[in-house]
Amino acid sequence: MNVDLCVGCGACAEKCPGKFDDTYNAGLIKRTAIYVEYPQAVPLKYGINPDVCLKLTKDKCGNCQDVCPANAIDYTQTEETITINAGSIIFSPGFTAFNPSKFDNYNYAGFPNVVTSMEFERILSATGPTMGHVTTFPGLPLKPKKKKDKLLAEKRKDPKKIAWFQCVGSRDINKCDNPYCSSVCCMYAVKEAIIAKEHAGGDLDCSIFYMDMRTPGKDFEKYYQNAKEKHGINFIRSKVHSVTQNPDTNDLDIRYVDEMGQIIDDTYDMIVLSVGLEISEETKDLAQKLGIDLTPGGFCKTGSFEPVTSSRDGIFVSGVFNNPKDIPESVLDASAAASAAGDALSRARDTLTLELEKAKEINVAGERPRIGAFICDCGSNIKGVVDCEAVTQYARTLPYVEFADEAMYACSQDAQNKMVEYIKEKKLNRIVVAACTPKTHEPLFQETLSNAGLNKYLFEMTNIRNHNSWVHKNNPDIATQKAKDLVRMAVAKAALAEPLKEEKIDVNDSVVVIGGGLAGMASAKSLATQGYKTHIIEKKEKLGGEAHKLYKTAQGEDVQTHLDELIKEIEQNENITVHCNTSLESVDGFVGNFKSTLKTNGKELDLEYGVAVLATGAKAFVPDEYEYGKDDRIITSLDLDKMFKENDAGLDAINSAVFIQCVGSRQPDRPYCSRVCCTHSIDNAIELKERKPDMDVFIIYRDIRTYGEKELLYKKARELGVIFFRYDVDQKPEVSIKNDKLLIELIDHVLNQPIQIEADLLTLATAIVPRKDEKLANFFKVPLNDEGFFVEKHAKLGPAEFATDGVFLAGSGHYPKPVNEAITQGRASASRALTLLAKKDNLFTSGVVASADPLKCSECGVCVSICPYSAPGFMTDGRFEGKARVNAVLCKGCGLCVASCRSGALHLRGFDTSQIFSQIFALGEVV
Amino acid sequence: MGNLLEHMGIEKDRVHFSWISSAEATKFVDVVKEISKKVRALGPNKKLVKDYN
Amino acid sequence: MADNDIKIVSFLCNWCSYGAADLAGVSRLEYPADIRVIRIPCSGRMSPKFILSALREGADAVWVSG
Repeated sequence: MNVDLCVGCGACAEKCPGKFDDTYNAGLIKRTAIYVEYPQAVPLKYGINPDVCLKLTKDKCGNCQDVCPANAIDYTQTEETITINAGSIIFSPGFTAFNPSKFDNYNYAGFPNVVTSMEFERILSATGPTMGHVTTFPGLPLKPKKKKDKLLAEKRKDPKKIAWFQCVGSRDINKCDNPYCSSVCCMYAVKEAIIAKEHAGGDLDCSIFYMDMRTPGKDFEKYYQNAKEKHGINFIRSKVHSVTQNPDTNDLDIRYVDEMGQIIDDTYDMIVLSVGLEISEETKDLAQKLGIDLTPGGFCKTGSFEPVTSSRDGIFVSGVFNNPKDIPESVLDASAAASAAGDALSRARDTLTLELEKAKEINVAGERPRIGAFICDCGSNIKGVVDCEAVTQYARTLPYVEFADEAMYACSQDAQNKMVEYIKEKKLNRIVVAACTPKTHEPLFQETLSNAGLNKYLFEMTNIRNHNSWVHKNNPDIATQKAKDLVRMAVAKAALAEPLKEEKIDVNDSVVVIGGGLAGMASAKSLATQGYKTHIIEKKEKLGGEAHKLYKTAQGEDVQTHLDELIKEIEQNENITVHCNTSLESVDGFVGNFKSTLKTNGKELDLEYGVAVLATGAKAFVPDEYEYGKDDRIITSLDLDKMFKENDAGLDAINSAVFIQCVGSRQPDRPYCSRVCCTHSIDNAIELKERKPDMDVFIIYRDIRTYGEKELLYKKARELGVIFFRYDVDQKPEVSIKNDKLLIELIDHVLNQPIQIEADLLTLATAIVPRKDEKLANFFKVPLNDEGFFVEKHAKLGPAEFATDGVFLAGSGHYPKPVNEAITQGRASASRALTLLAKKDNLFTSGVVASADPLKCSECGVCVSICPYSAPGFMTDGRFEGKARVNAVLCKGCGLCVASCRSGALHLRGFDTSQIFSQIFALGEVV
Repeated sequence: MGNLLEHMGIEKDRVHFSWISSAEATKFVDVVKEISKKVRALGPNKKLVKDYN
Repeated sequence: MADNDIKIVSFLCNWCSYGAADLAGVSRLEYPADIRVIRIPCSGRMSPKFILSALREGADAVWVSG
């Protein structure tokens, strides 16, 4: 395929006889040998699978070349070797889903209604093989041709009962070699169950069979509780042994043992296997070639203090390959890897940049509109349905249209060149293109306008392909009429288009990091290494934050040694200024131009900076239950860390140690999981056992949440003889002190009997609580959630930044996290900040922004309160004091304020009220 | 909005609001079909239309 | 005016429904040709004035989709 020529029309795939498994749809259906990976692909370009293409395998066929209107098919292409000279490598090879075919007890390979979670994702998807309709026999074609398939298809029904089996290919060394937890399956199973119920209606019965429910991500616990309480999804703590199939109905019979030890038989219409994540053999081979060390699970070995750096200098990693993780953590990893790769290359930055030459802009102010309309055939994509010639003729009759032309492919290079010539020759000052979607092609045409010296906002595009020829192919007359209407509307709007200015944003290139804990220091270190003056503002008398209280990381590294090193590096870095004992007194300004007053020991200092990173962290909850504070033997996890750090002599005297989990977490007043406590307690339990193997160590928990390879610690603890008891939140263990004995009582679930443990030490795994700094949140106009954690720009895609431009986020102020994740997010926030700082001289606002006319403004303040980005504000001085003004830098061009303005003072450039009216009127003209 | 229009004699099926994510092509089509059906049932809009004569 | 000549003025949010309409095209789904799309940057741009104006200009219906 010549991707430069391919226009994505799909004519080739319609005629292609080759078929192979559609991997995007998890193999549920077939796709043609010439294909796009998925329909939303950008750019929309086709490719050929050489293993199944009849032309390439047997030199037969050649249909695609015959039908391709763009001459894009090239069968002679061969594999090319490309050499790139790079200073850093980021290795993000991803994962493969576990293949459960080898599990004979679930018979995935034999039973059509046993599917994997990946297949179920596609079944739920509107673009999937069943178009979002949940049905049994999802692997059968919708209209089966084979006799065998036809017989099965008769049994097809909408399922009434679906079960999910967790930990298929995870936490399992009996049937496969994956001892780790895949981290994501609990959450996706809950999500799939909720969506399945939404698609199928309320009476669908969904049950999830699990060992521990692991929802330690931000807002995940609430989602899980909602699934139980609001959506009525059943959660059954049991591992199902086997599945059999009713030969007549293909329904699935299962047998399992419930928590009380009862054997239960049940029947389901469909079973979804929640398959785990694996590193493929191919990836492992490549990793070996690259010379990077792997963990026993096949993931990349990284340290907690450099969490995206592989064992090989210059190679950085991100995503599931760097331990199983969900989307937000993968995105953070990716940004962090970019920061680490950039640190290593900071000296070479900007040495290979080329400057783009720009045409001088023609002033069109005061000119009568001279519109050029270009109608695209898109090969036969538009012309095959719409009479493009008639539309072009019609365009010539419209007011202000000076020139109209039809183009076979308006987006092709020669059509673009011609467009530039026409603009110059005919002195066109507005351009309308009727073609495909502006969402993909508007920037291309705008660039052409710029090349011709026209302001790029003197452009209007209307969609006569996606919204017309492709969807009305059986009604050519109506489609032609619709195309004329759309062109008329676009011409009317274009006539009112004004050249818009993109304001240059001045960026002060120094940075303020608020909070000198691990996340803040990691962020500052990367920013400073890449050459930016960075100020760390720390409330306390020294850097390091809560990490001073930790003993070891989950990977066994000594925290204090690493912390001391990092603090030393920060203090010695000449680009970093540390302000300890310092508070932030005020914040003014916006992205690129912040101003603050700092107060250090009563002394004030003014600071100007371009971006801010909020890394204010969180703190340990002080327990208000389990007799905490009444006996020296009852301590918190951090107290135990302190004992380990100081090698407390009291440790030797302990014969029985108990840990209680979820102290203050996962309960109505604090409905989130604190993420780190399970691993922390298990780590400390192991430490106790290793110091004194005959000590009795008990962990009383609700769900053990050792996600990823932390699961190996859980396994190790059990092997060392640590005893685990589970409790329910409505039956918490009871702690009492009787005759100087420290007693813990709880109901054992297996025996359903109360048991009593006498302990010498009781460690409470306390929640992590946010600082809930409302003052800081107000300073930077960033939101806090109900619990007091900062709300990031996007839960999945923007986890290290705020919706407010120029303000970034790292550390436990976002959500509780262990050392490695705090450092990853610190680096990620630096990376996000760098993308802004690096544009220093090239940062412009969009032209599509709101503006206020002070003469019409009635000072009502609706725009100021309604804007989610705080763009409008009142002028504080001058002739128009008190009137509204919109800060173009903050404005996202949504138009909310314009619609809300009662006095008509606000205008949205590019989508002004008059322009929208013009489209409505243009439509009204012929009715 | 709906009440105001009804008060003015505009049938409520002449104004529709919906929320569709950019991935929901099938929902988009379903909504168009439904609106089209409802509006066709009402026939052309005669109220409120500006009189060109 | 013939019955098959219905016009529904459709205000579609650039980021949501406009994208869905694009995808409907890519997926070659067919639907009635009654809608005339006006692209708006966000459904927040919508104003009741546009709805009234469209009806006054002879639109048979108005559809606003975020």
